[in-house]
Amino acid sequence: MGKWSIDRVLSNRQQQSYVVNIGAFCAALLIVALVCILSLIALRGLDYFWPQPVQSITFTSPTGQSQQVYAQVGERHINSAQQNATTDVLFQYSDKHYPYGRQVLIESQFMGQITTAPEAANILLNDGTRVFSQPIDIRLPGEETTSLANFQDVRATVADIRQLIESLREAKLAPIHRDLAQLDLRQVERDAPARLRLYESFERWQQEAVRFETQLTDYQLHTRFSDGSEFFIPIDSIARLSYPGQLDTLGKLKLVWSGIGDFLTQAPKQANTAGGVFPALFGTVLMIFVMTILVTPFGVLAAVYLNEYAPNNHYTSVIRICVSNMAGVPSIVYGVFGLGFFVYQVGGNIDKLFFSDALPAPTMGTPGVFWASLTMAILTLPVVIVATEEGLKRVPEGLRAGSYALGATKLETIWHTVLPMASPGIMTGVILAIARAAGEVAPLMMVGAVKFAPNLPFDGEFPYLHLDRQFMHLGVLIYDGAFHSQTDVRSASLMFASCLLLLFVVFVLNVLTVILRRRLRKRYLRGY
Amino acid sequence: MLKLFEREQLDLATLSPEQTAMDVRDLNLRYGQKHVLHNITMRVPKHRITAFIGQSGCGKSSLLSCFNRMNDLIDNSKTEGQIIIDGRDINGKKENLSLLRSQVGMVFQRPNPFPMSVYDNVCYGLRLQGVKQRRQLDDAVEQALIEAALWDEVKDRLFDSATTLSGGQQQRLVIARALALKPSILLLDEPTSALDPLTTLIIEELMAELKKRCTIIIVTHNMQQAARVSDYTAFLHQGALVEYSDSDTLFTMPDKKQTEDYITGRYG
Ligand SMILES: Nc1ncnc2c1ncn2[C@@H]1O[C@H](COP(=O)(O)OP(=O)(O)OP(=O)(O)O)[C@@H](O)[C@H]1O
Ligand SMILES: [Mg+2]
Repeated sequence: MGKWSIDRVLSNRQQQSYVVNIGAFCAALLIVALVCILSLIALRGLDYFWPQPVQSITFTSPTGQSQQVYAQVGERHINSAQQNATTDVLFQYSDKHYPYGRQVLIESQFMGQITTAPEAANILLNDGTRVFSQPIDIRLPGEETTSLANFQDVRATVADIRQLIESLREAKLAPIHRDLAQLDLRQVERDAPARLRLYESFERWQQEAVRFETQLTDYQLHTRFSDGSEFFIPIDSIARLSYPGQLDTLGKLKLVWSGIGDFLTQAPKQANTAGGVFPALFGTVLMIFVMTILVTPFGVLAAVYLNEYAPNNHYTSVIRICVSNMAGVPSIVYGVFGLGFFVYQVGGNIDKLFFSDALPAPTMGTPGVFWASLTMAILTLPVVIVATEEGLKRVPEGLRAGSYALGATKLETIWHTVLPMASPGIMTGVILAIARAAGEVAPLMMVGAVKFAPNLPFDGEFPYLHLDRQFMHLGVLIYDGAFHSQTDVRSASLMFASCLLLLFVVFVLNVLTVILRRRLRKRYLRGY
Repeated sequence: MLKLFEREQLDLATLSPEQTAMDVRDLNLRYGQKHVLHNITMRVPKHRITAFIGQSGCGKSSLLSCFNRMNDLIDNSKTEGQIIIDGRDINGKKENLSLLRSQVGMVFQRPNPFPMSVYDNVCYGLRLQGVKQRRQLDDAVEQALIEAALWDEVKDRLFDSATTLSGGQQQRLVIARALALKPSILLLDEPTSALDPLTTLIIEELMAELKKRCTIIIVTHNMQQAARVSDYTAFLHQGALVEYSDSDTLFTMPDKKQTEDYITGRYG
């Protein structure tokens, strides 16, 4: 035993207790950190849905005039750029000049009184903007007015008219459009009677639709700003009206609930600072799904080759080392690879071979969901290979021998006995791959994820799933939100809400695979 | 010595081809540089139980796996000599291994049921041969399980996982799995070494029953077992066949000093 051997300093018992204590401390630290992160994200994320009060504030604008407005006050920033640090207040208000809201960041010394304004409503419009004002009454067609109590009824009427217009468009105008397109295809002359007839009826229905539209604009909400000026909002454009100052907890929870519903089902509005995240949620799940379908067979095949077929020599161990090292390559490198190889090389050549009539507009030679999934599949391949190999190694030799002894070939043995028993290991690889792929943003932005995609990669148009389209991704949305967050009252919360959702997606996917793995374990590994 | 089983003796020296299940001639086996079996020459009589005994590492398992060419799976193994079954040399290049292995069944020391249902375990070999009809499989499973004396215990749980069976049941299941292919030779490598005495007895009775249908070769470390169940016994030492005769003779008046030392326990 050396002079500095640990056994001289500490007894065996002490050594053990030190190891246990230090270990427990580390584990506790980890758990605390995890809980902190999760609760921060959960709190800030849920904050997005919690109704904020509308307040009446007075402030002095840079031009020197004092103003009273309804506003939602956001975060306070310490502005340390100047010599004596000041506090800046960020808030969003509505007044007659900026009825649809304006963000202001002013030093707190210019802030006047802040009082609660229970009479003020938060009026969310269909385009994602919000108006803070006090509803007075409702204007109906023909200069009539009705009280606010009838708001829901009026809304129903308006919704009916809107419905009417939509069905008019669908049932009358769209078929005429189609017929006209047919005529175009058959190259019928411009003044053929069939064409003129169609034009005429199109004109008629169009006028009908316009008539309804103008009728719609006659239904208006009459509101008043804090300084007394009046403002009219078409009822048709209102998505939700709430009085945050008057709500009890139950009412607030209801609002949270419908807010979460909108968040999950609607598209982003106002350049990703309002609205929902449905396209990003869909894009994320689709990308992960396609990636899993791509990476699993490849990874399993590679692992089977390495573990069952490859001779036990230097080349094999070099390949193994390469595979493990691939897991450590920075993900941005995979992004570059995906862009350079998949998008430009492979996609470009596919275009040349199969879609040459569409060139120079690229069909496959442009970033899209498929290339993103493929890039992610390459990125997560090592994880799947390593985990699958672990699973294969755990299959007892005796079982392989048993299979061979019944006349099975190597392939049959692998297929019927080895792979089922390795399936929990494969699932472990898939879980790790999903977790890794869901967290990547940078490489995705190079190969297909965008801040805003006009179309989902899935719609009613053949072939329904458009894997060549660009897509939105929660991670990209979060990244985008981080830039808005400094200038926008709500989008910091939107970013956290998206984070929460991303965590939730990963969690759900992982739980699903863990359940699957447990079932496979129970089925194939019980007793081993 | 206790005699449980009837024996009808054949003279090993004058075994006719009809009475021979397997004719081993000058068999040599090497694992790389290591010479494991030296010039083994022996005839295994049909419908009899032949036991292989010998010290650990003397090559009993290796010899057994020559009989269904499981050694092919070991990278650097090299076999020389002939093993004639049904008039053909199974070491020939054109031998169909799947066919051979269904004809020469093998049961390992540790029960190794596949992680599937009892039913699927027994069907494994048949399904590999392309049998798909449910009726045919049902009948084969029932027959094999009856032959392996397991039917009564598992008939109500055919679709339970085989790994939930007890060790002895698992071992009989593995035997049933081999029997489902109707093998003419059954190789048992220490089939009872992991089992308790009572279950061992069940398996031994099973062997006595099975020898009506097929030839059985068993490796065992248990002298009493070898004496009890086997009709013939071969003693191997360091890869060579030292003595091979009917069990009565071998255990009561062995020819060679080495054999006597081994069976009386003075050795190894
Ligand atoms: N795959 C292998 N590669 C190299 N040598 C092997 C291999 N398998 C067995 N051997 C060697 O061959 C010799 C015979 O082994 P074998 O397993 O046949 O012995 P055995 O008689 O069955 O022993 P036991 O009674 O312990 O099972 C041993 O010396 C063993 O080390
Ligand atoms: Mg052995």
